[in-house]
Amino acid sequence: MKLRILLADDHEIVRRGLSSLLQKHEGWEICGEASDGREALELAKRLKPDVIILDIGMPNLNGLSTTRQMLQHDPSFKIIVLTITDSDQVIREALDAGARGFVLKSDAARDLVSAVEALQSKRMFFTPRVNDLVLAGFLEKGHPISRTEPPNLPVLTTREREITQLLAEGKSSKEVASLLNLSTKTVETHRSNIMRKLSLHSIRDLVVYAIKNNIIQIEMPIGMKNEIPNGGSQTTVA
Amino acid sequence: MTIRILVVDDHPVVRQGLRTLLEGQSGWEVVGEASDGVEALNKADTLQPDVVVLDVTMPKMHGLEACRRLRQSTPGVEILFVTQHDSPQMLREALDAGARGYVVKSNAARDLLDAVEAVSQHKVFVALARRDTLTAS
Repeated sequence: MKLRILLADDHEIVRRGLSSLLQKHEGWEICGEASDGREALELAKRLKPDVIILDIGMPNLNGLSTTRQMLQHDPSFKIIVLTITDSDQVIREALDAGARGFVLKSDAARDLVSAVEALQSKRMFFTPRVNDLVLAGFLEKGHPISRTEPPNLPVLTTREREITQLLAEGKSSKEVASLLNLSTKTVETHRSNIMRKLSLHSIRDLVVYAIKNNIIQIEMPIGMKNEIPNGGSQTTVA
Repeated sequence: MTIRILVVDDHPVVRQGLRTLLEGQSGWEVVGEASDGVEALNKADTLQPDVVVLDVTMPKMHGLEACRRLRQSTPGVEILFVTQHDSPQMLREALDAGARGYVVKSNAARDLLDAVEAVSQHKVFVALARRDTLTAS
C-alpha cells in the first residue's frame, strides 16, 4: 500500500518541485495539494493522508495554526512543517503546535525525503538546530522545550489567531466574516478582544505584531534579507 | 520552437518546480541550473542559453546585479525574472537592469510559459500578481 502525502504551499511552483521530488520515491504518492492552510485542513479531514507537509507562511491560515487545528481534529496526523527560518521562536511554536518534522525550505531537496521516511517509521525529524534547542532545554531546566504558549502569544484563542492573520493580511471584517462563516459583528467583537488583549491600538500595530510573531511573513527588500541558517547534516529523533 | 534555458534560484525545490514546468514544453530544454548570481554568470558564459530565468534575492550576488552583468557579458541572452517581489518599484529596477520579462513567483505556474516564449522572441512580458499582463515588442 502506498504512503499517501498531502502537500500544502501557496506557491504552485514549489508544490511542483516538492511533488516531483517525493514522487521519485517508490511507494509514495501525492494524494492532494492545497494552496493555503484552510484548504489543507479540509483535504486532510477528507483524505486522511499518512503524512502532511505544510509550509509555515501560507495565506488565510498559516502552517502553524493549520497544524494545531489538524491535530485538534485528529491527533494521529503526522505533520512536517516547511520553513524559511529555524529561529528559536519558530522552532518553539512548531513544536508547541505538535509538528513531528521540521525542514528548512532551502534544504528541502536534501532533507524532505529523510523527514518523510522518519515519520513513516514513527520517528521525528528535526534540523540539528532544533535538536540543539531541545537539548539545551533539558540541560537548563531539566525538561525539554516548554509546550506552553510562547511568551509573545499570551492569550489568543485559536479563532483569534486566525482572525489576527486575516486582518494582518489586509482583509476587512466583512471579508473575514465571509471566509470564516461568521457574522461581521462577531468578527468585530473578536477584533476588539484581540486589540485589547495585545494592547494594540491600530491595524498597523496588528500587522507589526503579526510579522514579529511569524503569523504572517513578508519578503524583505534586497540587502535586508536575513541569512537563512544552513541546517547542516540531518538528524532524526526516535 | 527550441528554447535553451538556464534556471537560477537559490532554492533547489524551486529550481526543480521550474524545471518540471519548462521541460513539459516540446523543444524546450533546461540546459543548466545555478544557485546564485556568480554561478549564473559562469553557467551563462559556458552554456550560452537563449533565456535565463532569474530569481532576485539570492546569496553571493543578487539577481539585479547578475542581470546587469549578463547584459554585458552575454548580450544575446534574454533575462526573465521570477521573483517573490510583487512591486512596481522592483519591476522598474529589473527592467532598468536589462531584463525583458518579469513574473511574480506566486503566479509563475500560470505566467511562466507565456513569459519564456515572449522573451525568447525578444518581446517584453510583465505580470505582477494583481495587475493585467503586459506584452510588447
